[in-house]
Amino acid sequence: MPEATFVVHLDDFQGFLVKQRYPSTLTLNEKVLNLIFYEQQKENKENLSLAEIEGLRIAIFSSPQYPKWMVCTVLGAEEEFDLVTEGLAGSGRLILALMNEDADAVNLEEIVKAGSILEKTSEEQKLAEIFLTPSSALLLERMQAEGVEKAAKLSIWLKNQVQDEVDLREAMAPLMNSGVVKVEMIGKTAEMVFLVKDIFGYRAPPVESIKKASHTLPAIANQYNEYVTSFFSPPPPNKGYNPTLPFTDPNSPILEDREKISRLLADSLNYMVLDALRTEPLTAGEVALKTALPESIVKKVLWSLEASKVAVHFEDEDIWALLTNPRIESFLPEYVLPMIKKKVSEKEITPQIARRHLELLMQSCGEPT
Amino acid sequence: MIRSVYVLGEQGNMLYSKDYAKSESKADLVEFLINLTQFLGTVDLENKTEFMNVAISRIFFAQRDSFTFMFVADKADDSTQIEEKMEQLVDSFMRDYANLASANQPLDGFDDKVDEIAVTMVKVAILGFAGVGKTTTLHLLRGETLPLVHDPTIGVSIKKLPEEVENANIVLWDLAGQSRFSILWAKMIANAQVVIIVTDSTLENVLRSKKLVTLVKDEVPDAKVIGIANKQDLPTALTPERVGQILGIPTYELVAIDISYRDRLIQIIRRAILEGKAEAKVA
Ligand SMILES: Nc1nc2c(ncn2[C@@H]2O[C@H](COP(=O)(O)OP(=O)(O)OP(=O)(O)O)[C@@H](O)[C@H]2O)c(=O)[nH]1
Ligand SMILES: [Mg+2]
Repeated sequence: MPEATFVVHLDDFQGFLVKQRYPSTLTLNEKVLNLIFYEQQKENKENLSLAEIEGLRIAIFSSPQYPKWMVCTVLGAEEEFDLVTEGLAGSGRLILALMNEDADAVNLEEIVKAGSILEKTSEEQKLAEIFLTPSSALLLERMQAEGVEKAAKLSIWLKNQVQDEVDLREAMAPLMNSGVVKVEMIGKTAEMVFLVKDIFGYRAPPVESIKKASHTLPAIANQYNEYVTSFFSPPPPNKGYNPTLPFTDPNSPILEDREKISRLLADSLNYMVLDALRTEPLTAGEVALKTALPESIVKKVLWSLEASKVAVHFEDEDIWALLTNPRIESFLPEYVLPMIKKKVSEKEITPQIARRHLELLMQSCGEPT
Repeated sequence: MIRSVYVLGEQGNMLYSKDYAKSESKADLVEFLINLTQFLGTVDLENKTEFMNVAISRIFFAQRDSFTFMFVADKADDSTQIEEKMEQLVDSFMRDYANLASANQPLDGFDDKVDEIAVTMVKVAILGFAGVGKTTTLHLLRGETLPLVHDPTIGVSIKKLPEEVENANIVLWDLAGQSRFSILWAKMIANAQVVIIVTDSTLENVLRSKKLVTLVKDEVPDAKVIGIANKQDLPTALTPERVGQILGIPTYELVAIDISYRDRLIQIIRRAILEGKAEAKVA
């Protein structure tokens, strides 16, 4: 058990501020705070580092997402740093995410005692980043039209689109991290960008959760079914939510909703709660147990999920269930095959490039998503 | 710092104005503000505070109902700080004075309220290599007993200047000069409006300190930078003119262990804050 946990922020005017501490009796002097920041800056790349400061062993967590913030843990004498790194990084990630929402509302004691952590980003969250990065979403559209393209040409195209200095690498990062495109040197000079996966963001009906409810929660089963039905296929003239309508259809719910879905999935707190509800309806307390998040936070997230029509609340039973299941799925872009063929026949790409593209497509189709 | 505060009515008529410190071309500015009100009438700011840069000033404005609110502040100001102040001003005015203003009544008490709100924090960073006398300078500025031994600063030491400059609270950041702490300098001078580069006036130290001038200009381009030729009591000291020439910034002499320099130094900092960056080229 660590001896103490605290959160430090370097304010540009006031200097080091201890924003949260547990236990509340913990005192820290300016020198210790200075040395913590110094140690953290020294190891800027790493997320978690161990420092010996004034006889204390302090684990310091920081993240490029929240510069000038640090979550510090004073380790007990018997604690082995290497054995606790994963837990500390997870709780550090959680604490900074929460501090960012509302620094004063964070209950450090609750988090530390429950051992709550925030997982690293899941595959689905990496896909969500694409839709949240405007230049990446643009690039994806371009790649859907081109299938395969020279990196240099893509870069010029992007610059024309956004009329501004953009870094192709940066715009490409979400696409590469999620495995949607692959970038490779083919031959000596041509750096090529290949589209190997396409993605689709939508709200699926919460099938699994409904099934489970009909077996184990008869009290809500009927009502639950009705809620979901009226969202997806309400009686006419209402149209309901139909993600298979093409973008160009004015009733297509996809484009306007896609960003909302991506935002929900990309936020790790939302994601954990949402993911817990995918298989079954639960009380807030059960979600807290399943995710190991503090219940106060779970409740806040559930309310916001309710507002975005992702969750519904059955007041009498105090049970929460998914109304819609936001997903971002990837699929094999078969439509690039004729594009590749055409580009080879028009000598836009070499047969070598085409062969490599097919290989990459086959590889990615074998990967689990 | 917030130099001026204006509240304008629907017709661009001045309901309230106050100047805390001089800013460039005042007359032009007022005319500009009135035009701005008319322009703002045609766009919707959605209760947000916007700003635009005019030379070294930054003009913040917000609109609520038929009233327009403006601050003339500095480009080097932290905009979130000023935006918060704007919110306070708008809230207070709309709550307690909007009805009076609409009825052409005097705004009793509003002036005191503005004085309370328009106080901002101005950060002055003290940078320089180890042992040149930064901490000594900090103590001198605060009118404290001067330490005669070099007790190296760890990281940074942050203290307030007892005097306010106009309506600004001055926060002094005395950075650690030891080379291991150099990785912190760029982060620590963020949002500084004035950076004081202290040298011990030896040739070797002054030449090394040129690097600091570059660092400051890169990291805080809107900040005013001044040089200090400290330890002028020592026989090895270069003249402040020579130090200024090498560093390429306005530079002033100092003997930080001599209390009689205190008032002069405070005046230098005061002027640096009030004049801001543009004067640096003239000086
Ligand atoms: N002779 C002389 N000595 C000075 C003067 N100013 C400072 N000193 C001495 O220089 C030494 C170092 O002063 P500090 O102010 O601690 O140095 P610093 O720049 O803060 O050093 P770091 O914190 O390590 O970066 C002390 O012994 C001071 O007494 C001066 O004007 N003349
Ligand atoms: Mg010092």
